[in-house]
Amino acid sequence: MPDFTRPGHLPNLRPGRQPATPDWLPRQRRGTSPQMIGRYPDYDVMASAAAWDSATRQVVEARLHPSTDLRFFTAAEAPTLRALCDVAMAQDREPRVPVAQMVDAALADGRLDGYQYADMPSDRDTWRLVLAGLDEAAAAQHGAASFARCDWPTREAIVEQWARGLLGGGTWDRLNVTRAWAVCMRMILSAFYAHPWAWNEIGFGGPAYPRGYMRLGPLGVREPAEGRAATAEDPVPVVAESG
Amino acid sequence: MPAWLKGAVGPRRNDSRFLLDVHRRDLPGEETMRRYREEDEVDLCIVGAGAGGSVLAQRMARRGWRIVILEAGPFWHPDQDWVSDEAGSHQLYWTEQRIIGGDDPIELGKNNSGRGVGGSMVHYAGYCPRFHPSDFETLARDGVGADWPISYWDLRRHYATVERELPVAGQDWPWGDPHTYPFAPHPVGGAAQVIWQGAHRLGIQMRVGPVGIVNGTFGNRPHCIYRGYCLQGCKVNAKASPYVTHLPDALAHGVEVRADCMASRVELDRGGGRAVGVTYLREPDGTEHHQRARVVAVCGYSIETPRLLLNSVSPAFPRGLCNNEDQVGRYVMVQGASQTAGRFPTEMRMYKAPPPEVSSEQHYETDPSRGFARGFSVQTVSPLPIGWAEHVLADGHWGRALREYMRDYNHWATVGVLNELLAQPQNRVTLADEKDRHGLPVARFDYSLCDNDKRNIEYSTTVIKDILTASGAQDILTIHRYAHLIGGCRMGFSPADSVVNSDQQAWAVPNLLVSDGSVCPTQGSANPALTIMALASRLAERLAKRLVDLAPAGSAPGALAGGRG
Repeated sequence: MPDFTRPGHLPNLRPGRQPATPDWLPRQRRGTSPQMIGRYPDYDVMASAAAWDSATRQVVEARLHPSTDLRFFTAAEAPTLRALCDVAMAQDREPRVPVAQMVDAALADGRLDGYQYADMPSDRDTWRLVLAGLDEAAAAQHGAASFARCDWPTREAIVEQWARGLLGGGTWDRLNVTRAWAVCMRMILSAFYAHPWAWNEIGFGGPAYPRGYMRLGPLGVREPAEGRAATAEDPVPVVAESG
Repeated sequence: MPAWLKGAVGPRRNDSRFLLDVHRRDLPGEETMRRYREEDEVDLCIVGAGAGGSVLAQRMARRGWRIVILEAGPFWHPDQDWVSDEAGSHQLYWTEQRIIGGDDPIELGKNNSGRGVGGSMVHYAGYCPRFHPSDFETLARDGVGADWPISYWDLRRHYATVERELPVAGQDWPWGDPHTYPFAPHPVGGAAQVIWQGAHRLGIQMRVGPVGIVNGTFGNRPHCIYRGYCLQGCKVNAKASPYVTHLPDALAHGVEVRADCMASRVELDRGGGRAVGVTYLREPDGTEHHQRARVVAVCGYSIETPRLLLNSVSPAFPRGLCNNEDQVGRYVMVQGASQTAGRFPTEMRMYKAPPPEVSSEQHYETDPSRGFARGFSVQTVSPLPIGWAEHVLADGHWGRALREYMRDYNHWATVGVLNELLAQPQNRVTLADEKDRHGLPVARFDYSLCDNDKRNIEYSTTVIKDILTASGAQDILTIHRYAHLIGGCRMGFSPADSVVNSDQQAWAVPNLLVSDGSVCPTQGSANPALTIMALASRLAERLAKRLVDLAPAGSAPGALAGGRG
């Protein structure tokens, strides 16, 4: 069982700045986390939902029931959109936070950041150009029919090139490649970490109005509703205690 | 103030804290708010219900002035409209299109731009430091930036007054002009405690606060509940914003706040020397309206104030109102706001407690040995998950590596800097070719760092990394970013170097005032909210004492001076 007082799992401290596969952690036992990765295996933030104010509860609960229809992207764009959102957040299996649908809804509803770089098209056009550019990169570098048809390591390799600003030619020449990375990733991250399943994964306490947090310290003191990280203890009494 | 009075002394001449309802978060008095007719010539039409506009309105309403505030955004009902949620708070920010350019484009939106009644202070962190006396004379002292036509001592009384109104909580303050705060410091969370200890080991002094967050009892404003969502709008009413500190009293004294009204131009009389009102577009259909007024105050902050002036073209001002000297929109400043996070063996859970907790102004003044002019402050911060994800991304991680760092969230503590970046004429707001949904040209903001700025940012980032190392951090992640806006219609000594004079009057149109952060010629390393409010408080006092001559040049002296009062 992992020892979280030590930092050996952090990518900067590992060869190639890459993490181990997450199967060093237990499976989520309570509630849902993305891919059921159980850093806090017995913590479910939604168990506190009854203690939240109703406006907040409605906003958070709506994320558990997203529309499956895309409103902004076309059916032709959907596979590449989903493939990008999966690889960008390392969601390689179910259960997945529905990042693609959340990004689509934000673009369709016009929930944009409020600034546009002078050397860039609008965020909406940027997304369309990026999806086309990823398909072009998949075809040019790997002879694939589309980005979505590439296997997982190939997709990761293409996205890594994009993250380093190394993609170019064709559609990419109509974008500032590095800024396009920031525009798309900001929206992807805002979707993923708005979802309560992601809060379960990272042990975030979540909304706390009107209850508040009353235990600010000393270090290591938890609120009754805050979850423990994975330990080597028998899970049965741990769950019973936190339930 | 003697220590035994801490928390016991409220402000005089501002009853906002008693007017608020204990059980609802709505701005009291909305239903019974006085309404003016557009044909009425009100005494003052204010554009923007933020820090500068709201304080000016509250003060002048108590002097009997009839006042309308036009606000582009909504009239908030926090119980329904605000949520304890990062992504769900998107509507608090100015997210209509703006263009950013230059060598170092500045991200706007949630980073620094508010919209709606209460303005950007609805979602500021809560840090309320004063500027230092040196900030008002950086050119004379350090040969950089600009000198103000007023000094710290002109603002000092107003700082103390506004600190009681917010109210500000913090330890006795040793830097700048040493002073005390009306409320005792808040308890410090574990994450900030660890950073404080690291700073102490390096000989860097830190103090708790200063934050505009209720700590104790203050009328009907509740004590902070430490839920950590200061940047998402305080549903508790514990954090200060004009929505709770000045607008309740303003409404009780006859101010009308007309929300969902986007000002499109300031209108002048036929001669072009006097403002006569404001034309605005009312939601949802954008129909054009006009409010007549004896005095107009533009309070839209560093992007929208210049934009409104530049969009107000007339025969007397073909390049935009008060822009015949080509000064409108220039000298816009931001602060460097790099943040560094450190990883610790025990859980920090930095989302608990307000993001602003402990800060230092030890590096605020120029130290020639550092190799650059002016300085920076150090402040603890606490990003919530989406903010933390952007921090991890900025350090170069995505996909599996980013998920690993995110799962480690509870073990991290974060500290940031605020660098004083220097005023430069080419850092400017202009009009873009793009138009908004009303057909008004949108703002374009160009920004580029100078060499002094870059050296300041580099040096300060080393300092906060050293603090984390001294705290015992096992890994460190850094993000370079910017915060706050200042300048764009600065005050100065003549029309050739500024847009407004020391009384925040436009040089070219004396009954046109600017009361927001755009008038500041420098910004120090301090968060700007308190200074914007103190400036508005000073302006109001001078208007009330009839020390501001509002009459156009050449007319009978005093014809408009002071007015009611």
